[in-house]
Amino acid sequence: MGFLAAGLGAGIIALGAGIGIGMIGKSATESIARQPEAAGDIRGAMLLTAVFIEGVALIGAIVCLLLALGVGQ
Amino acid sequence: MSQILRRVAVAIILLLVVNPTVIAADASDEQESEIDVVGKATNHDYFEIPFGKIYLPRILLADGQWYFYSSTNSAVESGEFVLGEEGLVRADGVPVRLDMSITSHLIYLWFGLLLTFFITIWAGKRYRHGVGSKTEPKGAWQNTFEVLFVFIRDDIAKEFIPHGKHEKYVPYLYSIFMLIAFLNLFGLLPWGAAATANLTVTAILAGITFALTQLAGTKDYWAHVFMFPGVPGWSRFILTPVEFLGLFTKPFALAIRLFANMLSGKIMIVSILGLIFIFSDLFGAAIGVGSGVFWVLLTAALYFLKALVALIQAYVFTLLSAVFIGMAAEEHHHHDESSVAQTKEVELQ
Repeated sequence: MGFLAAGLGAGIIALGAGIGIGMIGKSATESIARQPEAAGDIRGAMLLTAVFIEGVALIGAIVCLLLALGVGQ
Repeated sequence: MSQILRRVAVAIILLLVVNPTVIAADASDEQESEIDVVGKATNHDYFEIPFGKIYLPRILLADGQWYFYSSTNSAVESGEFVLGEEGLVRADGVPVRLDMSITSHLIYLWFGLLLTFFITIWAGKRYRHGVGSKTEPKGAWQNTFEVLFVFIRDDIAKEFIPHGKHEKYVPYLYSIFMLIAFLNLFGLLPWGAAATANLTVTAILAGITFALTQLAGTKDYWAHVFMFPGVPGWSRFILTPVEFLGLFTKPFALAIRLFANMLSGKIMIVSILGLIFIFSDLFGAAIGVGSGVFWVLLTAALYFLKALVALIQAYVFTLLSAVFIGMAAEEHHHHDESSVAQTKEVELQ
């Protein structure tokens, strides 16, 4: 049961993080295309936001890892 | 520089000679056929070197008394400790209160600290002698140092910490960047382990950032935590707990992010290599070995990715430390914004 939960959880995390980072990438490339001179600033903001999403996703991944390893049973 | 390197080498050799428990790969470990995936990334009481293990000293506190052993084995052989489910337990059942043992991750942490220390001191000495400050920086090492240092100072500290205050934090940001980068890259070495794949290490690093953030806090920062300005009075009942919780979730996320990134990288690589054995168990040795070509190529690609991730995570940790410190050190002259985070966003644009 733990393995099932971990597998499903990892899949959903990948889905959520993928959508989030995809949206950041989309808007960042669009803004750079619209205003190429601001590329440096946009890249910094993009990385910062992506990192926050990544952090949430990784906390989920750790929970899945704990489930798969059977911690707390 | 070469003199320093020689001294370090001599120190390491002395350490190896003095420690009598340099044991070549012992026979009992040869029999284990299961791959311990998580064990590759976790902390151990031995230091893995090519073709063997160096068992590290154990320092234990049980029942108010300190015990020193040169390795886990000698602790068991002395009859005072037995190896329980959770590690060493004293023979009469008294649990170990404090385990100050030297572990593999600690050794890597020391290596990282030493490297950061020596490189910085060495470069600092050169600048004081005028190389780089009056003339052009000389040599590949100093140029690399300068590129990294200027990057941390201008692109991280100056960008995110209010002007005039950023100078104070550059040394911290630079050393934490170098330390994390070294620790992460040690994880890529064969037999190596990333000390940052240990929650204790990352939690301590995040704790230092947390302490610096609180010390940097201005009156406005604390006002935003406890008495949020410009909102109806009743909403403070919700905002204050959330903001107060936010003080702790930020460094918590910082620690978890680094830890999870480094842990997952190692686990991913070992798991993918493990697919060779899973395939040969399922479909026979021929398919296992045949598909091995593919898995090894995939692992090689992942290794490059991991080298990149190692540096990016060091950058991200430094960046977020600077952002948090900058948020706390900021003075607000106008009180119409709805949160500290939004001001940051405005500044970023």
